[in-house]
Amino acid sequence: MNAEGLESFREFVDSRSSALLKTAVLLSGGDQHAGEDLLQNALVKAAGKWQRIDEPEAYVRRILYRQQVSRWRLKWRRREVSVAEPPEAGPRSAHSGDSAAAAELRVVMREALARLTARQRTVLILRYFEDLPEADVARLLGCSVGTVRSTTHRSLARLRILAPELAVLGPADAEQQPSRDYSPVEVRP
Amino acid sequence: MNVDELVRDALREQAGEQTAAGPGFADRVLALHRRRRTRRLATVAAATAAVVAVAVAVPLLDSGKSDTRPSGVTEQHGIHPHPTQSPPRDLISAGETALAAYYIPKTVKQSPKQAVSQRTYWLLDPKTGKYVKDTRWSYVAVAPGMKAAAVLERTLPAARIGLLDLATGKVARWILVDHGVAGLAFSRDGKKLVATTYGKNPDLRVKMQGSKSWDSEQTSSRTGFYVFDVTTGKGSWSEVKLGGDPNNPMGGGFLNARQDFAFSHDGRHVWAGNPMGDIGKQFYEPSGAEISVPANEKYVDWFVDAYKSPSGRLVAGDFAGKKWETSSYVIDAVTGAKTEVHGQQLLAWVGEKSLIAWDIIPGSNEFHQQLVLVTIGSNKEVPLSGLRMGNDGDAGRWEPVFAEY
Repeated sequence: MNAEGLESFREFVDSRSSALLKTAVLLSGGDQHAGEDLLQNALVKAAGKWQRIDEPEAYVRRILYRQQVSRWRLKWRRREVSVAEPPEAGPRSAHSGDSAAAAELRVVMREALARLTARQRTVLILRYFEDLPEADVARLLGCSVGTVRSTTHRSLARLRILAPELAVLGPADAEQQPSRDYSPVEVRP
Repeated sequence: MNVDELVRDALREQAGEQTAAGPGFADRVLALHRRRRTRRLATVAAATAAVVAVAVAVPLLDSGKSDTRPSGVTEQHGIHPHPTQSPPRDLISAGETALAAYYIPKTVKQSPKQAVSQRTYWLLDPKTGKYVKDTRWSYVAVAPGMKAAAVLERTLPAARIGLLDLATGKVARWILVDHGVAGLAFSRDGKKLVATTYGKNPDLRVKMQGSKSWDSEQTSSRTGFYVFDVTTGKGSWSEVKLGGDPNNPMGGGFLNARQDFAFSHDGRHVWAGNPMGDIGKQFYEPSGAEISVPANEKYVDWFVDAYKSPSGRLVAGDFAGKKWETSSYVIDAVTGAKTEVHGQQLLAWVGEKSLIAWDIIPGSNEFHQQLVLVTIGSNKEVPLSGLRMGNDGDAGRWEPVFAEY
């Protein structure tokens, strides 16, 4: 990397790392340190070909998602977070209009999300946090749309098992679709 | 509220709580990047070291002319035919030449426009003298002596070459390579291995516009070759640039998609066919420098598998068909004088006077061949295998791999 490349890399990291870290920590089930590791690895990979990357943010995000899924797949450095206690709840002021019950449910949900596999969590984050259509998720993870659909379906079912309190909630659209494809997520390097 | 809405809310709430990565994050990443790059260079050095280890660990090659031989051939070097077997089940051999393995190619469709021709190998089990299916490999080169083979795993081009101990069926050593390998060949003395490197799988098949059948790709992705000296353990890669006009859509398509390198008879040079070239073949120093075709290689055709007789004085040639319905030329390597011998396609020499060939029963389907033993100056043909049925390119047609032992 030449001086120009170094400068643009630093600029990118300074301006985008907060946003990217949010995603990385979510992918890591709320573990801040694991999230930083994940992002750091993705950025190291991006640094290797920095001056050949057209859209750095899209590139880094793709590495984040795939890396997380690969970790699951390779059973490498798998860091599933088992939380006996709900993680510290954030400041409530932002949700001052909430009922206590809704806040309670969000805490339960976070706990359950942290206990999913990395693959299940990644698919839910892409579908519901990044709001990506199934086809885009499939492209990002290098798997079929059917696999995205079935993983979403099973992940939501798993959440309901992990947290029986969620029974009060209505079914998501994804839960009403039949789960057809049970093949594992295929990740292309 | 639905469950997906709660997932969304919970994730957003969680994302809102995170702290930034902190100052100096970019520099931490850059430092880590530099460290990893250094480690990658170290990995290359380790790969070279692995090559060095090869020589030590494999009970290879010329060490064992006198000991463990495949059962059934220990006593005598006669003829071991199985004229009812196609594909063969039991060891077929003549003199010191044996059918060491065979493979059956199959075109596997990967998409409407792409397929791959995959080989499935059957290797001789030296303990039982039978051919046993081994699906692990996409390419197998059996070393002279038939105690070891060089193998490539299923995905081509491969990042490592295995040295397989044929007695145990286990890989004794892996050679890691930086340039993907898709073809292998030993030198006659078994001390050297040449590995042909490709940018992509040379066995891919595509559908040309307007064609219903699968064809090899028109452009070659061949990049060069490695020469490994198995005895001293050293190996190096040489780039071989494709000829031709880069602006021509045929590009380096003067070559077949798979056009592997092999050693010359004396082991001093590396060569390969060049079907569209003026001379039809190209020769190189093991260091990669191209040389003109040596005088004693003048009459060699790359597509005739048998190549040269053990002494190097005779060259197995192309189909002749003059003296008999199916016959082939045998050519004096120095004078170019031709004689004809029985056989549709010459596959391997058995001493100085005989060859193993494909041949048909006169008057029958030209694709229904069997392995036969033919001898120069003789009208006699000894069937060694059963007839290979089907037409060229049909599924289930087996292809022989010979070795001296």
